[in-house]
Order: sequence, then C-alpha cells, then structure tokens
Amino acid sequence: MNKTIITNNKLVYEKLNEKIETQFLSKYSYIEILEHVRDMIHEGNKLLTHPLSGSLKPNETPFKSIVVSKKKEDLDLEGLSIIEDSIASAQKFISGKPTPQYNERILNDFRLIDLSLLENAVNRMVCL
Amino acid sequence: MRLELGKIFIKDVQFGESTKVENGTLYVNKQELIDIAMEDDRIINATIELARSGESVRIAPVKDVIEPRVKVEGEGNIFPGVISKVKTVGSGRTHALVGANIVTAGKIVGFQEGIIDMSGPGAEYTPFSKTYNVCVVVEPKEGIETHAYEEAARLAGLKIGAYVGNAGKDVEPDEVVVYETKPLLEQVAQYPNLPKVGYIHMLQSQGLLHDTYYYGVDAKEIVPTFMYPTEIMDGAIVSGNCVAPCDKVTTFHHLNNPVIEDLYKRHGKDLNFIGVILTNENVFLADKERSSDMVGKFVEFLGLDGVLITEEGYGNPDTDLMMNCKKATKAGAKVVLITDEFPGRDGKSQSLADATHEASALVSCGNGNIIVELPPMKKVIGTLDYVETMIGGYEGSLRPDGSIEAEIQIIIASTIANGYNKLTARNY
Repeated sequence: MNKTIITNNKLVYEKLNEKIETQFLSKYSYIEILEHVRDMIHEGNKLLTHPLSGSLKPNETPFKSIVVSKKKEDLDLEGLSIIEDSIASAQKFISGKPTPQYNERILNDFRLIDLSLLENAVNRMVCL
Repeated sequence: MRLELGKIFIKDVQFGESTKVENGTLYVNKQELIDIAMEDDRIINATIELARSGESVRIAPVKDVIEPRVKVEGEGNIFPGVISKVKTVGSGRTHALVGANIVTAGKIVGFQEGIIDMSGPGAEYTPFSKTYNVCVVVEPKEGIETHAYEEAARLAGLKIGAYVGNAGKDVEPDEVVVYETKPLLEQVAQYPNLPKVGYIHMLQSQGLLHDTYYYGVDAKEIVPTFMYPTEIMDGAIVSGNCVAPCDKVTTFHHLNNPVIEDLYKRHGKDLNFIGVILTNENVFLADKERSSDMVGKFVEFLGLDGVLITEEGYGNPDTDLMMNCKKATKAGAKVVLITDEFPGRDGKSQSLADATHEASALVSCGNGNIIVELPPMKKVIGTLDYVETMIGGYEGSLRPDGSIEAEIQIIIASTIANGYNKLTARNY
C-alpha cells in the first residue's frame, strides 16, 4: 500500500495499522499533526485526505488523522495550499477559543468520530 | 415531473385519543408514537412531549427535525428507500402539516447536538421556535454502538414523521402549490429566452454522524447525479448528520429547501430552473476531484447559464465548494455560493477554509462564532447535561440558574448554509 496515515489518535492506530502503515504521534497536538504533514509534503509526499474534519471545527476535537502517499514525488502544490489554508484555519479557531480539556469518555467519542471519517474512505480503497 | 404540495397549516398541537388534524390543530396519541419508537429494540425508552411556539421551553440535545408529510397521489411514499419501498417520488400530490414538526432528541455522543428555544432571544435564531413540535426523546440500550443508536434515533423520527403525516391524508389543504420541472429538452424549450439555472446541492457525507442519504443510499457512495427538484419534497433526501447544530441541514430543511423554493418562485419569470445536481463531500481528495469533475460535466451537458451552490459543514467541505465553483465556472456558468461563515468572534479572520479566484459572488448566512445569552427556560425537554460540550458551548456556558452563554453555533440551524435563516453579512 502506497499510503501512510499520520495520526495522534490511538484508535486509528489500533484499527487501521494492519491495513495501512500508521505513524502514531501520541504527543502531537491537532496543529502539530497538520504541521508535520505540511513538512512531509515539502519533502515530496502527496496529500491524500483533506486535513479538516467535516462538521467538527479544529478547536472542538483534539484528534487528527491524515493520509499521505509514501512515495515521494514532485512537490504537491495543491496539497501544500490545502494544508497551509487548514493550518491557518485551525490556528484561527484555536487562538480564539482553545480546545477544551475533555474527560476520557468524551475523548473516546472524538477518537471514534475521527476514526470513522478515515475508516469509510480507507475501507473503500479508492483508486488514486 | 409535477408535484402538487397541499399545505395544511397547523396552529396548535395537543395530545388526543387518536392522531388526527382538526381545524388546524394536530392531535397526537402519545402511546402510538412511543410504540413506533420502541419497535426498534436498540431503543429502551421513548418519551413524547409537546413544545409550542412562544412557550418557556428549551429542547436539547436535538438530533433531527422532520415535517410530517404524506403521499396522497402518485408513485412511492415519503422517505423512499429508508422507511418505504424504493420508488421515484416527486410527482402527484403530497400533503404537508406546515407548522408542525417532529423533533428527535437524546444523547448519542459526549459532545452533542444543539438547542431549540421556543421563546426568548435564542428563539430568533431557529425556525423551529415558530412551530408546534412533537418531541421524541429516545434512550439507547446499554452498550450499543454510537452508529447503531444514531440510526435507531433517525429511523424513529422518520417513522413518526410519516405516521403523523398520514393524519393529513384526507384533510383539505389550506393552500396548494404546484411545482413542475419538465424533461430537459422540453424544459429548455418552454422558456427559450430565459437563463438556464441549476442548483448544485452538496450533501454532507464524511462518516459517522456526518451522513446524508439519497433514496436510502449513503451519499458518500454516490457519484454526482441529477435530481428533479420535487423529489426532495417527498423525502428523497434524509439527514443523518448530527454533530454541528448551526449549519446542520435537518430533514425538515431538505423537505423545505429554500434554494429550490425560491428558484421555483422565479421559474418562468426571470429564469428557467432546470434542476438539481446532487453531489457529496468526501474525505479523500481523489473523491473530491472525481465528484467536482462530474459536477462540472453536468453543468456543461445541461447547458446551464448560472448555478447556485450550497454546502453543509465547515472546513473540509469548503474545498469541495471551491472545486465545484471553479469547475462550474469553467463549464460556462455564472456561479453564486451560499454558505455560513466562521471568521472568529470579531469577524476579522478568513470566513472559509478554502478559496478560489472564481468564487466572486457569495451569499452569507451569518457568522457562527457570535456569542449569545440564553435566559433560563421553565421547562427542559431532553437534558442540559451536555451544554458545555456541545459545539458552540464551553466551560462555564451553563450557569446554575439554567441560563446559557454560548456561540450561536449551539442553536439548531442558526447559520444554516442554505439560507433558511435570518442572518447574513454584507459588504459596505
């Protein structure tokens, strides 16, 4: 599989690592995951999933999982523009109102939603 | 395709011995509705409560809102492929109990859906404070998975919507509105001198609690398709999205899509409304590329001169919105976007997470980050336990007296991105 998942969500690592190599960066914040992916794009990896999640705003969930290509190619300019816009957007939300300190039960619900957003796409193994 | 929509105006709701409509009052038999909800063994308890416009009532956490409707003539039934057999709907005659709604409430996940206030300042932000609501509060079986509970709650609301709608089957409507869209070549020929306008309707389709269904098909599995606008009025599209209150497109909003309504009002006058291009909002960039390519292809094939585009959600869907805008423009149409904005509390930051040069005309449905004060209400239907973890709520949002300070994001449909609200923003 020519894809890799970058995540700070242990549930994604536990459920998907067997199918797709997953880099579990447990100490990374939402923004740090985005920045890590931005750096990977600069190194030639291609952005495969959109960095922002559906209806959840960046200051509502602490979890973020993004799929990038393993193979390094020419700079993915479109992906770079999307990740930069996403970082700007996430910073705007988080500086306005930081992500709350949730209890473990709520954190688990957010892990589950983050997993589901990826799982649906990964299970269908879209042709890229 | 031609649909007569018979509107029965509801001016009150009461419990009664049978479920019926009499002189503008909707009577519901409580036990019948509980029995329908309890048919699903994933639900262990259901309660029914009424909330009338103007009352001191707060409903939370709200999942979906459904206007009761019934097919009177024509093929198929309401919510085809979901609670009735798959059959193309949108023609014949349908009756709607306008002013009555089924509101489903109950806990699904730790961060929760939003609030409807039936009176006070919060009531100004939601259309459901003006209606007579039959609230269905459901409780799940212990240990059930989130997605299974979401499905059970969704189906209970739809089934009760159809059951209550049936009470309007033999009632003479107060008003009948006729909507008609002909097959493409005939439609183009009917008003050859008017600009051909289409509507690109983007359905939220990213995953758990972020889903929408078209004839029962999960929208993430569709490729863009063409829909006669009247199909939506019979429930061809139902909402399964329940994490963002302010810009959630409820099933009510699908049945009463304001873009479709307004395009029909001007159909034959200053534009020729050709139809709806349905598309999705997926997670993979490759899916976005494929779907927006196909949207562009439809715009070209249908020969549209202009399109309106609406989205559901913030962030990820903004990229679909911009890709659709770019490709519809390239296909030869003038494009107007309709969406809400999240530019921060001072309104100074970027409103959307993506942009393109072609996005030169946009109708704003308001800023979701604005703070609102909601005074306490005498009665709560559901629970306020989750206010501080609701989208738009924060630590300290819920005060001991039951009053709430939160972003207007917390109110159901306050900045809904199809324009079924009263907020906007203008350039001066």
